[in-house]
Amino acid sequence: MSATAAPTGVRPRPGSELSALALAGLWRMVRWLKILVPFAVLVAVWWAIKASGDFPDNILVSPLQAWRTFVHLVSHGVMAEYASTSLTMIGISALISTSIGVPIGFAVGVNRYAAHSLEGFLRFLQGISGIAWLPLAIIWFGFSHTTTLVIVIYTLIVPIVFNTMIGVRAIPENYVLALRSLGAGRMRLVTDVYLPGALPSIVVGLRLGMGYGWRALIAAEMLVRKGGLGDLIFGARTFGQIDRIIVGMITIGCLYIVVDRLLVQPIENVTIARWGLLRK
Amino acid sequence: MSAPAPDVHDKIVVSGFRHFFDTADGSVQATDTVDVRIRAGEFVTLVGPSGCGKTTLLKAIAGFIRPTEGTIHCDGNLVRAPGRERGVVFQELAILPWRTVRKNIGHGLEIAGVRRAERAQTVSRLIELTGLVGFEDRYPHELSGGMRQRVAVARTWAADPDVILMDEPFAAVDAMTRLTLQEELARLCAATNKTVFFITHSVDEAVFLGDRVLVMTRRPGRIKAVIEVPRRARGGRNWESFTADPQMQGIAEQVLRLVRAERGAGPANEEKPARAAGATT
Repeated sequence: MSATAAPTGVRPRPGSELSALALAGLWRMVRWLKILVPFAVLVAVWWAIKASGDFPDNILVSPLQAWRTFVHLVSHGVMAEYASTSLTMIGISALISTSIGVPIGFAVGVNRYAAHSLEGFLRFLQGISGIAWLPLAIIWFGFSHTTTLVIVIYTLIVPIVFNTMIGVRAIPENYVLALRSLGAGRMRLVTDVYLPGALPSIVVGLRLGMGYGWRALIAAEMLVRKGGLGDLIFGARTFGQIDRIIVGMITIGCLYIVVDRLLVQPIENVTIARWGLLRK
Repeated sequence: MSAPAPDVHDKIVVSGFRHFFDTADGSVQATDTVDVRIRAGEFVTLVGPSGCGKTTLLKAIAGFIRPTEGTIHCDGNLVRAPGRERGVVFQELAILPWRTVRKNIGHGLEIAGVRRAERAQTVSRLIELTGLVGFEDRYPHELSGGMRQRVAVARTWAADPDVILMDEPFAAVDAMTRLTLQEELARLCAATNKTVFFITHSVDEAVFLGDRVLVMTRRPGRIKAVIEVPRRARGGRNWESFTADPQMQGIAEQVLRLVRAERGAGPANEEKPARAAGATT
């Protein structure tokens, strides 16, 4: 067994510890900078275009102006209202589609025949994007939050079902056999083998689903016009408020990163990474 | 078959066992008729070329598959499904990666509803017996292959089954570790007096561990010979004394000849059941 502890024989000179700490801090900063570089480039290019050409503000605003608009929207509570609507919608959708999608994925995954017959159907559904359901959903549910929810849940649920199914099927048969010979019943197998065994794949499904779902949400909000960031940017178009459109778009991108980092990654860290099951 | 006298207490009785698999190309015969009797407290090893149906036989005794023909009894009861009285140790991929060493070893007791304090006691004892002290709270991916197999063995022993079925449990670990694990297993068996059915394709392993060695023919396998291995003492076995003992070496050579006769005679028999080179250390 390779112990990961530091060699105890070597004692660092006093002072070198401090410089090591500083070095570690520097490395962390460099890593953050690396992540921020592409964003800086984007802003620079945007600024250069605005400065070099003769673009009026109803075609393109400068980054500074966008920043001012952002501050204005935030300080007046407008941004919070639109953003919270979007976040609430994605949150509700994630909860509902996980609690429906995971059991369906299980039921299909443990049954080889069901898995075979449903694989094609799930791919078919994957092909029909959530947006393609909008016309029907609007006719059935009107311009309402229900319509938006239906679209987003549908978008989220397909990858969750699909990946749960794949996760269940990828569990080594020996795990199940070993537990059965230890006297495990069906419920035990579900809680001790199938659920944790399928979790890495379920998280992948949820992560994919959140990506698709977030996009579908913005699109649905643009048409339904009952609040949310999609409503914000589509409404701004009517008045040619380029600054609002751009600020809205940036917020959409940033919030997605936050959702992914704050919700999905912690699940991964406390479970899959600890078990050594993370697929890199 | 040269079965032992019927008056001794038989733990496992396999009679008229024959198995076929359904494949896309129709039915494939896995084994020919097999009869095996295993006495209580006996360590029986089964050696044979790969694909001869030895794993099929083990899986049937475990209750994972229903035999096409014949019956299997454990303590006089017909085997229909897996049961707590028959523990299984697999070659690999059997302990759960999401459970620590301690939680894996105690899993059988947890399923049986044994109280926490009592469970902790049993688990600690087995952790000591299998040399896993200091690794109780590690996850399997932090362990070497040999230690993972120790955990698998400990988990099965912790559940305290009467019969332990082992399907090439040390085939996937390196040669050096394997020697240690074999010695440890011999000691563990001597200390706990379990009935063990052990499958291998290593002749040395079969003779080193077994009180009785069954030799199987190539597919469709049947038992072609049964060799008794006289033991001067239960336990205390080690590879140095085994390789220095002319009687043991004679038995090993006899078994080797029987197994080698099965090689090449069959179609596409890649794996050679040769004597393990590591035994000379």
